[in-house]
Amino acid sequence: MIMNVRDRLNRLTGEAEKREKTEIREEILTLRRRIDAIMARKPRSSAYKCQNRYAVTRVLEDVIHGSEICNDYGTFYVSRSVAEGSDSHGCRTISEIGGLNMNHAALLAADERIARSDLERGLFIDTETTGLSGGTGTTAFLIGLGWWENGSFVTEQIFLRDFSEETAALVFLRETAAKREFLITFNGKAFDIGLLSTRFILNRQRDPFIGLPHLDLLFPSRRLLGHRLENSRLVTLEEQILDFRRRGDIPGYEIPGRYFDWLGRKDAAVLEDVFLHNRLDIISMAVLAVHLAELVDPAFCRDESNDADLIAASRLLIERGELDSAMIILKATADKGCGRFSFEAKKILSLLYKRCGQWKRAVAMWEEMIDKNPGDFFALTEMAKWCEHRADELERATSLVKQALQYAEESSELCKILVHRHNRLLRKLRRARQ
Amino acid sequence: MAKLTMDEWLARKKNQRHFSDNIMAVKNISASEGKFVPYPEWIDSRFKAVLEARGYGKLYSHQGSAIGFVRQEQNVILVTPTASGKTLCYNIPVLQNILEAPESRALYLFPTKALAQDQMHEIHSLVSELGADIGTYTYDGDTPDDARQAIRKKGHIVVTNPDMLHAGILPHHTKWQKLFTNLKYVVIDELHVYRGIFGSHFTNVIRRLLRICRFYNHEPVFICCSATVANPKEHAERLLERPVVLIDESGAPRAKRTFILYNPPVVNRELGIRQSALTPARKMASELIKNGIQSIIFTTSRLNVEILTKYLKDILKKWGPIDEQFVTGYRGGYLPNLRRKIEEGLRNRRVMGVVSTNALELGIDIGDLEACIMVGYPGSVASTWQQAGRAGRRRGHSLAVMVARSNPMDQFIADNPEYFFSQSPEHCRVNPDNLLILLHHVKSAAFELPFQKGEKFGIEPLEELLDYLHEKGVLHRVDDRWHWAAESYPADEISLRSINPENVVIVDTTNRGNHKVIAEIDWDSAFTAVHDEAIYMVESQQYHVDKFDLERKKAYVRKVDVDYFTDAMTYTNVRVIDTFDTRRNKRIIVEHGEVQVVRKVVGYKKIKFYTSENVGYGDVSLPEKDMHTTSYWFTVPRDILADLPFTREDIIDGMNGLAYGVHHLAAMLLMSDIHDIDCCIGDKSGEWFVQSGGGRRVITESASKGLEDETMRAGDFDPTVFVFDAYPGGIGFSELLFNEHDQLLTSVRNLIEGCPCAFGCPTCVGPTLEVGLKAKKVALSILDKLK
Repeated sequence: MIMNVRDRLNRLTGEAEKREKTEIREEILTLRRRIDAIMARKPRSSAYKCQNRYAVTRVLEDVIHGSEICNDYGTFYVSRSVAEGSDSHGCRTISEIGGLNMNHAALLAADERIARSDLERGLFIDTETTGLSGGTGTTAFLIGLGWWENGSFVTEQIFLRDFSEETAALVFLRETAAKREFLITFNGKAFDIGLLSTRFILNRQRDPFIGLPHLDLLFPSRRLLGHRLENSRLVTLEEQILDFRRRGDIPGYEIPGRYFDWLGRKDAAVLEDVFLHNRLDIISMAVLAVHLAELVDPAFCRDESNDADLIAASRLLIERGELDSAMIILKATADKGCGRFSFEAKKILSLLYKRCGQWKRAVAMWEEMIDKNPGDFFALTEMAKWCEHRADELERATSLVKQALQYAEESSELCKILVHRHNRLLRKLRRARQ
Repeated sequence: MAKLTMDEWLARKKNQRHFSDNIMAVKNISASEGKFVPYPEWIDSRFKAVLEARGYGKLYSHQGSAIGFVRQEQNVILVTPTASGKTLCYNIPVLQNILEAPESRALYLFPTKALAQDQMHEIHSLVSELGADIGTYTYDGDTPDDARQAIRKKGHIVVTNPDMLHAGILPHHTKWQKLFTNLKYVVIDELHVYRGIFGSHFTNVIRRLLRICRFYNHEPVFICCSATVANPKEHAERLLERPVVLIDESGAPRAKRTFILYNPPVVNRELGIRQSALTPARKMASELIKNGIQSIIFTTSRLNVEILTKYLKDILKKWGPIDEQFVTGYRGGYLPNLRRKIEEGLRNRRVMGVVSTNALELGIDIGDLEACIMVGYPGSVASTWQQAGRAGRRRGHSLAVMVARSNPMDQFIADNPEYFFSQSPEHCRVNPDNLLILLHHVKSAAFELPFQKGEKFGIEPLEELLDYLHEKGVLHRVDDRWHWAAESYPADEISLRSINPENVVIVDTTNRGNHKVIAEIDWDSAFTAVHDEAIYMVESQQYHVDKFDLERKKAYVRKVDVDYFTDAMTYTNVRVIDTFDTRRNKRIIVEHGEVQVVRKVVGYKKIKFYTSENVGYGDVSLPEKDMHTTSYWFTVPRDILADLPFTREDIIDGMNGLAYGVHHLAAMLLMSDIHDIDCCIGDKSGEWFVQSGGGRRVITESASKGLEDETMRAGDFDPTVFVFDAYPGGIGFSELLFNEHDQLLTSVRNLIEGCPCAFGCPTCVGPTLEVGLKAKKVALSILDKLK
């Protein structure tokens, strides 16, 4: 008896008879996602949902303004928008993007080449993909680009209406990128750029991004702001740092499904949210870049700046060898009074002085700290070290350690170290007296 | 007491009547001279110097011809004994090629991580002696993330396993562009391991590999090595789907070897019960080890590894204090560190005795062992010689003893040693076009590269499969290309080795504050090995399973010291879904087709150490497992049975006995592992089936209910013996059995008739404790009716 492949498969997978457990689990999961999505959604989106059910299929051009572009490799769709300088994005205006300082951007990226470039030569990139698992089976179906041009921020979204448009779209992307000197992304090092590089290889096209300087905002965001965020997702940064709130945003995990839906039904209504989401991502990236660059810029150090951010910024600056800038920021923070961050700033600053051999300043700082808090282990220890090794004041060093010991918890690690130091000093003293 | 050498020990044993009487055969394999050839001219002089410095003044003849064929870009399969220098056959061409063209790359595939590690040492030392800049790296699940990128770019030789190739490399081939655009050689060692289900997957992985290579415009040369099997060339060509040159004449010298076939004495003639194979094995092994003769003992199950290790430790401790490592177990499931420690211990002779499953059968370097004892026929001729080969790999006299168990296969060999010695080893079979397996790989392949109309992948009509996947929403067809169009990562959906890629972790909770992972076990085995209340053993330490947490895939155990172990009882129900072919054979109906198999672990037996007494039962409540596979079956019409002067219970016993013989001889006929096929008796309708195990034999309604139905009469029941492939979708055995039905039934009749036992024994219809006292008689009566 001959059966066709399909019947045999249905039988083997038991599809004809019963649903598999995984399928039911999947269904529960999907249901949960849908409920989550509905709960998160504002009225506008639920209206859209209803509308969608009864309306006829909507054509792409009617939903997404843009046009078909044609090149040697085929056609694809591009939607271009301009955000004017006066437009606002959260607590900032678009015009502020123009003020992005290239030196500071270079510092964030740890790539000097960016400092030698202009903002107009930078390219912001964010992709929407058919999955998050990575690997060759994941396609970037929407490639969002952004750049600064004549006082406004331009976004251009390259869309594959079907997989067959990929080569043409990638060639267009390469041509656009050819005029650019550096990239700015959010998590692009681990995801978007690697994925595009895979797409270029699969389409047998040269990859334009190899070796291009790349500022991935995820890393500096974590470094500078991670201490006060529950996670480092772009939406979280938008809400908590940029004070920008999206209305009815599509959750990221729904995006692949929307595209598959589009491929099947070609109803552009399902894409509207996706394009908006992508475009907002790009604008947020630009604004975030400005915010981060300002954090490491002493000129923007204000009384109302977040102290913890400043401490984090100074640490990054020290790491990148920008000691002068770090000192300015630390001083400003230290001068703010006697809070936890002021203390932290003094600590770092004093160590920085020590590192630069500015002993006078360091010692003054430690003395001040001991003055304010006679049990300050850090200052007492540093002073004791200075007295012992630099100033040759063994007795003063001994008394400083003794003072610290009074405050130390008995038999703690710290106490052991102090006792060790104390004993050594006593030995030295005895020798000196002999 | 002075220690005996192996020759002295052997001479002494042969003089002991209670030992020599049970020797069924002794085969001495004399030493043989080596055949040598000079190095070919094209070998780099630096390389030649390194080899000569190692003492390889010339090449063995098989090495010479292998590297010659490879040089001419021919694929080769090399089949020569252990310790014949197989690794040089691939290391020479690979390293030579990299010396000539530093950009070129090679991929080494080993079936296990352990083997890959072992090979790494070998290549590393060659490369460092060469002083050349040749990057050699293992790339597997243990490779740290930060090292991966460097390996992708700089690794000249990437050593990995098929599972990693399947799930970690091929789906990311663009990151491996450098490797694939320069891939000159693919080395596949232990090719014979890739048979059955694993082999069927493997063929598909190779199909995918070649598809990727073609994308990068490259066609690698394959260099394969295999243990002795009956059809190495055919097997290699089936796996690689291209012509392969066979090299099977070894030029390596061989040391003297002795092979003994030992059959334990019958202890109860009526019941046909022989002494347990573990008993003489334990005695021989302890004597050998006491005499400082390093030994390896192979058993056929993990449980037996632990039991025998415990027994040996008990005996040897009586002789004086011993190091913990002196005798040890070894099997899959032990954590990698422990395994490395044992391998090391074997090489430096701190471990003098190791009890292992076939995990040590492959080429892991464990040094020169002197003696090998096999407790039970390993299931195939090839495995037997492979295991025997672990003793005396290089020089000196070595010994291998196979101790037969009571089952039909072992006894057949014990009775017909000349058959065994003259028998060619098994055929390796694969069925890469098993629809389920194929479908998984078509998905993975589509993920790697879109399919183009006209492409080939396996023998099934590819376009139909692609359209099926398109309809399922997994692929998206546009013009004449099928693209991956799902969020998932298909390679993660299937494991190459067993149906369920999940593992269960075994956690020791003896120390409250410090829970420790002591082992892991695959999902399917977990149901029988770590159900609640089971005794689980690692390194002969017993643990009681307090809780098997299905959700979290963890089994919580604590150390105990009890005098028993547990053995799970399962039952199986088979329902026919579709019949592919039917024929009437005399009075019975023989068929094959597709079936649904439902299995459930229902309870366990507690079995006392040493005496093997049954000291208790317990119930187990675990969900049933369901699979679709192919089966061969035959039905005995009820009217035939109605004529027989037996009760319903007797008939069931007889059918059980018949099935027992059929199952074992079918495995022999197919030359497959007994676990690759399974057997069950039921009614063709699937409404009734016979539950056996735990001393109960009843007809029940269904596996899930497990209720005995009192109104059921033998007259309502057309007993059917199912022999099915133990893999979803089947592996192609059932059609073979359907065609060989007559021969199979004749051999079963000969086996039962010829068996000297009175009522049935493990050699013919199964142990009477399980099949009852009348099974043999009833089975023969049924067979008479079928004449």
